[in-house]
Amino acid sequence: MWKNSSIRCLFAIAILCLRSLIYGQETGSLGHPQNLKCITHNLRKMICTWDVSSKGRHGQTDILCFKTKEKKVEIPVPESSSTMTITTNSISGTPFVTKEFEIHKKDISFVPLTPRILSLTPDFSTSTLNLKWSDNGSVFLYGLDAFWQIQILRKEPGTNIRRVTYYSKLSHEDMILSWNWTSDMPLECTSHYVKIRCYINVTQFVGPKDWSDWSPIEEIPGKDTEPNGSGVYPQDTVVAVGSDVTICCVHEKGQQIQRMTYGPEIYPMIRLSSRSSAIRVLNASASDTSGTNVVCRLSEDDMDGTVLFVGYAPDTPQNLSCETSNFLKIKCTWKPGRPSGLYGKRRTKYSLFERISGKNVSCEVNEMNRERVCGFPVLADQKTYDFVLGVSNPIGQTESLLLVDLTQKVHPKAPEKLTVSGNSSTSVHLHWFINGSFAEIRLLCQIEVSCGHSERRLHNVSMPGGEFSTYTAQLNALHAYTKYQFRVRCSAADHFWRWSDWSRIEEHTTLEAPPARGPDIWREKSPSGKSLKIFWKPLSLSEANGKIVSHEVSCYLLETPLEHKEVTEPSNSTEIKLGTSDCIISVVAKNHAGSSPPSRITSVELPSDNVKTDRAVAMGNGIYISWNSYPNMTCGYIVKWCHSSGSEPCSVDWQKFPSNTTDAVIKSALFRPGVRYNFSLYGCKSSGYQLLKNITGYIKELPPKRAPNFTVEETSSDSILVKWEDIPIEDCQGFLEGYRLSFAKGEKDALKPTLSESGNPELKVKNITDLTKKSLKILDLQGKTSYQLDLQAYTAGGLSPPNSLYVVTKEDSVGLIIAILIPVAVVVLLGVVASIFCYRKREWIKETFYPEIPNPENSKALQFQKNICEGNKTLKTLEMNPCTPNSVEVVETRSSAPKIEDTEMMSPAADTTVPEDGSDSETENHVVVSYCPPIIEEEISSPPMDEPVGSSQVVYIDIQSMYQPQIKPEEEPEIVTTAGYKPQMQLPVSALKIESCSPAEEELDKTAGYRPQANTNAWNMDTPDSPGSAESNNENASFGSPCSINSRQFLLPPKDDEDSPKPSNIGWSFTHFFQNKPND
Amino acid sequence: MAAADNTSAALRRRDLCSRGIRLAGKMRSDVVDLLDTYVERQGLDASASVAAVEGVPVAAVERWDEQTGTQRLLENLAAYRTFRALLAQMLEEQQEQLGEADTTLGQALAAVLLQVSAFTYHLEELLRLESRGPPSEEGAEPPPAPHLSLFERKLRGLGVLRELAQWAVRSTRDLRQLAKPSPGSSSPASLAESP
Repeated sequence: MWKNSSIRCLFAIAILCLRSLIYGQETGSLGHPQNLKCITHNLRKMICTWDVSSKGRHGQTDILCFKTKEKKVEIPVPESSSTMTITTNSISGTPFVTKEFEIHKKDISFVPLTPRILSLTPDFSTSTLNLKWSDNGSVFLYGLDAFWQIQILRKEPGTNIRRVTYYSKLSHEDMILSWNWTSDMPLECTSHYVKIRCYINVTQFVGPKDWSDWSPIEEIPGKDTEPNGSGVYPQDTVVAVGSDVTICCVHEKGQQIQRMTYGPEIYPMIRLSSRSSAIRVLNASASDTSGTNVVCRLSEDDMDGTVLFVGYAPDTPQNLSCETSNFLKIKCTWKPGRPSGLYGKRRTKYSLFERISGKNVSCEVNEMNRERVCGFPVLADQKTYDFVLGVSNPIGQTESLLLVDLTQKVHPKAPEKLTVSGNSSTSVHLHWFINGSFAEIRLLCQIEVSCGHSERRLHNVSMPGGEFSTYTAQLNALHAYTKYQFRVRCSAADHFWRWSDWSRIEEHTTLEAPPARGPDIWREKSPSGKSLKIFWKPLSLSEANGKIVSHEVSCYLLETPLEHKEVTEPSNSTEIKLGTSDCIISVVAKNHAGSSPPSRITSVELPSDNVKTDRAVAMGNGIYISWNSYPNMTCGYIVKWCHSSGSEPCSVDWQKFPSNTTDAVIKSALFRPGVRYNFSLYGCKSSGYQLLKNITGYIKELPPKRAPNFTVEETSSDSILVKWEDIPIEDCQGFLEGYRLSFAKGEKDALKPTLSESGNPELKVKNITDLTKKSLKILDLQGKTSYQLDLQAYTAGGLSPPNSLYVVTKEDSVGLIIAILIPVAVVVLLGVVASIFCYRKREWIKETFYPEIPNPENSKALQFQKNICEGNKTLKTLEMNPCTPNSVEVVETRSSAPKIEDTEMMSPAADTTVPEDGSDSETENHVVVSYCPPIIEEEISSPPMDEPVGSSQVVYIDIQSMYQPQIKPEEEPEIVTTAGYKPQMQLPVSALKIESCSPAEEELDKTAGYRPQANTNAWNMDTPDSPGSAESNNENASFGSPCSINSRQFLLPPKDDEDSPKPSNIGWSFTHFFQNKPND
Repeated sequence: MAAADNTSAALRRRDLCSRGIRLAGKMRSDVVDLLDTYVERQGLDASASVAAVEGVPVAAVERWDEQTGTQRLLENLAAYRTFRALLAQMLEEQQEQLGEADTTLGQALAAVLLQVSAFTYHLEELLRLESRGPPSEEGAEPPPAPHLSLFERKLRGLGVLRELAQWAVRSTRDLRQLAKPSPGSSSPASLAESP
C-alpha cells in the first residue's frame, strides 16, 4: 500500500523509538499532554494535535522522535494501531512529563483538504456562473468518489439561495472541475457569492470521515456595487413563453424607484439592495413584435427600461418536401408550424445540411409566408440527398430530416412557347419548350384538347427528356374545320411526382373537308301535284366539316336528270316543277373542300284512305305521339310538322324513325305552351310515302284565352235560354273539354266579382261537356228577378276568364192576381164575421162602452189616477213626488237645452240630502223621468236657496234630452267662440260659481286654463237643485241623467247640442211625453 | 435688367417658400401620425417624457425673431440633414429588429424619411437662390450613436420624431418669415428679419 520505502523506514524507526520510550519512562500528572486527536487529509499522513495542562512549564515536546514546539505533529498514518508517547520537556530541555497514547486507526478522522476555487466567471448575458476548482486527485493513490457541495449566496438577502452537490470521481491526478449555474435573476442585479467544500468517500478507511472546510468565498459583484452602476436587467433578453422572469432595476445612490411596469402592468417590487429592486413575472405570455417593455420609473422625468422578448422555441418543420424543376436547383419547402413570435434578428433561422456531401446552406426565408422555401444546388453525380433542416432561434432549436431521390421528385416548370402547326383537316403538330435539364429522365406530357364548350380530351405523350429542349408531339383524329384549344403540362414519366403547371392556351383551326354525309331531306307536293317543295336540314358542325356554301338539288328519273338546281346558303328549301311523272330527288351539300354524298328521296306520294286525326299527349318538354305498326312500311316512318310564328309561313320540320318504331316524343326548342301543333305521320315504302294519320297536340295545355261569346235567346218568368259561339282554335290553347255556366241572382254592378269568386250561396253551376251543344235553357228561375250569368270554357289547362250577362226574368201574372185576391177575400170575411158578432152582442157592448149612466168603478180613466196615488209600482211613468205639485209647467223639449245637472256635485249639501232611510224607497225605482228644478233666468235671479220647498217647477224630459248640455243661451256663443279647448273641469271653481256667477268671474274662468269641456257655468246657473230645494227633490235628482257616480257630472254631452243655442223656456208638453220624441 | 433679375429671384424665392411651407405642413401631419404608430407599435407610453436626445437638433431657439433669413435656412438645413441620417438609422434598426413583421411602421418611417430628404433639397435650393450655396455635408452627419439598449433606442426614436414634429412647425414659421416681401433687394442682407 505504501510503496514509498523511505516513508516505510521512517515509520519503523519511529515505532522502535516509541517502544523504547514507553518502557523507559513514567507518566506524570502536571503538564501532561491530553486530548490527542489525529486527522488525515491524504490517508498517508495524519496530523495529531493535543492539549497540555497549563500548570506546568514546558519548553519542548518530544513525540516519538520528533521535537516540536507546537501542540501538533504530522506523522504517518499507522497500519492498524500504535502507541504514541508524548514527552514534554522543560524550557531547559529536560523531560518534564511523558504520556503515552494508544492510537487506533479507527480513531483517526479523514477530512479532505479544503478545496480552492480556481475561477468564478460570470456570463451576464445568460446569467450564468462558471465555477472551476481542482479536485486534488493526486493526493490519493487510487480513485475515489468525491462529492462537492457548492453554496451560492446573494448580498443583502444574505440567504443561501442555492446549495448543490456535485459528484466526481477522483483519479490519481489533479483535475480541474467545472460547474455552471444559471441564476433566475440577472447577475447584474446584486452581488453573488460562491463557496465550495468536499467529501471523499474512502470506503477502506475505517475512521470517521467528514466534509472538508468551506473554501474561501468568491464574489461576483452586482451593478449595485458600482458607484455609477444603473440599468434594468436583463437587457433585451429572449425568454420562452411560460417562463418566470426576474427583472431588476439598479439605480444610482440617492434615487428612488417609483414603480416598475411590465408592459402596461405595474408589478410589486422585491428589494434586493439599497440600490436594486426587482419584479418577478410569472408565466410570461408571448410579447408583441417589438417586445415587451419593462420600465423602471425613477421620477416623472427619469426612467430606465429594457425590452423582453417572450416567444416560443421553433416548432419542428412539417411537410418537409424537396423537389427539382430543372435538375439545377433543389427546392425544399416546409411549413413552419407554430410561429415563434420572434422577429428580426431574433427570428427563427433555417439551414439545410446535406449529410452525404456535407454541404450546408443557410436559408433566407420570409417570416410572414406560411410556407418556407429554401434552395439547394444539385450536386454533380449525386441523385440521393439526405437533408437535415436545422431550425433555431434564441430559445431553442430543432431539426427535420428528409432522404430524397431527386429523379423521383421532378416537378418541371410550365411548358413555354407552345405553338401549333398543321396543314391537315384532322391532325396538328405541337411544339413547346421546357426550361430544365431532363437528359437523364423521360418526360410524360399531357396535351389537353378542347373545342368550344365540348368535353375536354387529354392525350398523354411520353418522350425522352432533353437539355433545355423543345419538345414536339402530333395529334391526329381531329375534326375538320374546328377551332381547337391546346395546352400542355409535363411530369417525369418513370416516377411521377407532380404535373407542371399548364402552359398558356394556344388555338388552332383545322382545315376544311367535304361534308361527311348528305343532309336530311323531305319533300312536299303542292296541292296541284305539279310542283314539289324540297326541304333539308342543315348539317351539324361535325358533319359539315366546313362552311356549307350551297346545296345541289337534282331530280332524276331512272338516272336521267330532269332538273338541277344549286341553292346557296342560307336557304334550306327549294321548289322544283314536276312533269308528268314523279322522280327521285337528290340533294348534295357543298363546302369549299368538296361535296357530301347525295341524300335521296322519292316524290311519289301514295294515296291514303280514312286518314284519322288523333290527339297527342304532352310529355315534359315534348309531345308524345304513337301509332300502330304498319308491316308494309319497310323503310320507316316520318313525322312531319310545321312551326308557325306570327304571319310568316310555317316552317316544315320532320323526324325520321325506323320501321320498328311505333311511338316517339317529338321535341323542339320551338314548341310553345298553348300552341296547337299538327303532326302528320307518313309511312315509307319502297314505292313512296303514304300519309298514315294526323295527330294534333300541345306541349302544354293552357286555359282558353277567352270565354265564348253568348247571348240570351229567350226569357220567361222562370227560364232563360242562352246560346254561345265556338272559340277560335288559337284562343283555346288546349283541347276544349267543356263549358261552365254559372248563374245566380244579381244586379248589374261594375265592381262585382265574377260569380265563382263572389261566394254567392245561391250560385248554381251547369257543366256542359257536350261540345256540340251550343245552347242551354236554365229552368226554375223566379219571375221578375235579375240574374247574373257567367259562361266559361275550359281545357285541361284550366278555366277561361268568364263572360257575364245580366238577365231579368219576366213577371208571373197568375201569382200576382192570387196575391191580391186572397187578402181582399180575408178582409171581407172578417168584416162579415165582426158585423154578425156586434149585431148579436150589441146590448153588452152598449152596456160596457157607452152606458147611459157611467159607473165610476168601471171607469178606466179614473183607475189611472188612483193607481198613481196608491204608489202602484207597475206604473212608473206617472210617479211623482210630491204627488200633488204646487204648479206644473209643461215645457216643450224639441229644441231646448234641458237644465239638467247633478245636484250633488253642484251643491255642497247634496251629500247630506241623499236619503239614507227607506222613507223614500217608494221612489227608488223612478228611473225613467228625471226631476229637474225650475229653469233659466228665473233661477239665476232667484237662487234656489231662497226658493221655498215644494214651490219649484217641474220639468219632464226624456233621457235622451238630458244628454244635452245645460247652456245658458245668452252665454253660450261667447264661450264657444273664445274658450277653445279647455280640458276637463275644475270642480272647486265651478262649485264657487254656484253662488256668484258674475260675468267677470266667467271671464276669469275662460282664461283659467284647465277647464271642463262643457260649460259648467250654464249647468250651475241652471241647476235648480239648490241646497234648499234639494231636500224635497233629491229622490229625483239623479233620474234620467247619465251621471258619473264619482264626478257627478253629465257624461258625454252631445256637442251638436252645445253648438245650438236653445230657447230657455222651451220645454215639454205633457202630451208629448207619451207621443213624441223630444226632437221630433 | 438687374431689377428684372431681382424681381424674378424674389418671385422664385416666394414660390419656393410657399411650396416649402406646404411640404413642412404635410411633413408635420405625417410625423404626428407616425408618432402615434410608433408609440403603439413600440409599446411605449405616449405621455412618456423623453430627455433631450444626444445628437438630435433642438427646434427651440432663443431670439428666433432676430435671426436672418440665411441663418434660418442654414439652421434648418443642418437640422434636416441630421434628421435624414437619424431616420435612416431608425429605419435600419427597425428592419433589424422586426424584419418583415411590421411593415406598417417601416413604410411610414420610409415615407417621412423621403419627405425629410425632399425638404432638405428644398432648403438647399433656397440657399442657392440666396447666392450662397448650401454648405457641405461634411460634419453634418450626427456622431455615430453610442451602443444603446433596445429600450433606449426606442426612446431615442420617440425623441427624434417628437423633435422632428417641432422642427416642421418651426420650419413653417421660418419660411413664412422668408416669404414676406422685403422692401430691399433679394440679397442675403435683405433677409435680415425685423422683429
